[in-house]
Amino acid sequence: MDNLIIAQSPSSPAIAADWHAGVISMRGDSYPENSFELFQPLIDWVEAYLAKAGRPLHLELELVYLNTSSIRSMMDIFDQMEVAHKKGQTVSARWTYEAANERVGQLAEEFCEDCTFPFSIDVKS
Amino acid sequence: MTMPNQDTPIDLLAIREIFNRQNIMLCFNGPVTAPLIEEIGTALRKHMEGLEESPSAVSDVFSVYIEMAQNIRRYAQAQAFENEASTILISRDAAGHYVISASNVVRHEDGNTLVERIQQLLHLDKEALKAAFKTQLRQPRSSLSGSAGLGLIDMARKATAPLQHSLQTLDNGRALFSLRVIL
Repeated sequence: MDNLIIAQSPSSPAIAADWHAGVISMRGDSYPENSFELFQPLIDWVEAYLAKAGRPLHLELELVYLNTSSIRSMMDIFDQMEVAHKKGQTVSARWTYEAANERVGQLAEEFCEDCTFPFSIDVKS
Repeated sequence: MTMPNQDTPIDLLAIREIFNRQNIMLCFNGPVTAPLIEEIGTALRKHMEGLEESPSAVSDVFSVYIEMAQNIRRYAQAQAFENEASTILISRDAAGHYVISASNVVRHEDGNTLVERIQQLLHLDKEALKAAFKTQLRQPRSSLSGSAGLGLIDMARKATAPLQHSLQTLDNGRALFSLRVIL
């Protein structure tokens, strides 16, 4: 399976999924009109990785603002990871945000509430 | 009611005075397109940052604006109402709260459905709204029509007062739906 790279735009984040490293990074704002279309390749990639790679998956997030359809898409990815975790696979996530952006922190906390795999929320100083 | 003659010049000064009196920071009226939503959003963020508003205030106003504008746009696309003018206003009320208001043309029956959805949210406190958000977040994809169905709940969660709405009948089975969110 290949790596997945989706370039950043003013309304969509930079997405990079590295098959060998088992790391997905997402950075920036996410409020595209077509969130479901934007995130589908990533959701498919995560599904394939968790089914075939046999290695841990780490999600490294520096997302800033998300519209509600991006929130839904992120939830779908966290749910895929949660299922894998319950089957004994090693998955983890870290969401880093700037201290001034409290709203991002609150959103990350809400996602974290529904995940039982290691999920850390770090404040950038 | 007397309709103004089409040849009457538009009184821009009078419009400007309404904007000033209502403390309107930013206003758009016309068909909503994706690039416009993005550009106005960027302008709104920059303007608010210039006012030295807290990042949370900027984020809340931006977020409600985006949800409203994208809801309007999605509906207009689905109904082939793309040429209908919609209105989006961002203002401040006398107490200094930011207010995001928008109106768009809808089929009357769709307007009724929207009003029902909003009225259900009016009874919910912040905890119940959070629960409703999480329930909606897990609705199966197959039950969604390209939209997560979260926008109104999210606006209600961010608002400091109940969502205000109205549905005014137009001709041809249509109506003007208006929504006002006070932050």
